[in-house]
Amino acid sequence: MRAYLFDLLVILGALVMTLGVLGLLRMPDVYTKLHGASKSVFLGVMVLAISGIVIGGEASTSRLFLICLALFLTTPVASHVVGRAAFLRHEQMETAGAIDESGSLHHTDESPGWRV
Amino acid sequence: MHEIVYYAAMVWMAGLLCICIGMVIRTHSAIVRILAFDALTLVIIALLILYSTTTESSYYLDAALMLALVSFVSTIVAARYYSERKVF
Repeated sequence: MRAYLFDLLVILGALVMTLGVLGLLRMPDVYTKLHGASKSVFLGVMVLAISGIVIGGEASTSRLFLICLALFLTTPVASHVVGRAAFLRHEQMETAGAIDESGSLHHTDESPGWRV
Repeated sequence: MHEIVYYAAMVWMAGLLCICIGMVIRTHSAIVRILAFDALTLVIIALLILYSTTTESSYYLDAALMLALVSFVSTIVAARYYSERKVF
């Protein structure tokens, strides 16, 4: 029973990670690529870690719990820093209908936004 | 049947790893390269987790934990250097 649950979780995790990598490959600009790279791939790794918790012994359970905790704390911070870097370097939005409400992405010929 | 799922998932993860390496090499923008590198380390972490549960040895999970922490630091340093040309 537990092995079948493990198989199901592994297949689900591989599917979610595939969707994330596909989004990273096919999305038009960096702001939409962030969705695939930071949310889907991260959630796929979390599902794979939960599958390891389901089937593993004590040693691997504690280590997988630590991996889950570390990824849960660090991945949002890393993706936020990447999005902030793209915004400060005036990366343009390529998506159709995308609106920058701050209006600062269009002045690419003015002073660079490094000093914010 | 369970072994088939293990090996198919590992081969699939290796395919995702190849796609991520190709994105790191072939993309045009530097910030997309940083992002693809972050995703590549996550795929390597998933591969290590699968391998350690397949072989029932927990030693690979230490490497996965260290890789998670080091990839966090490297992503933050690269992105801050890209945006502000200084790290601290």
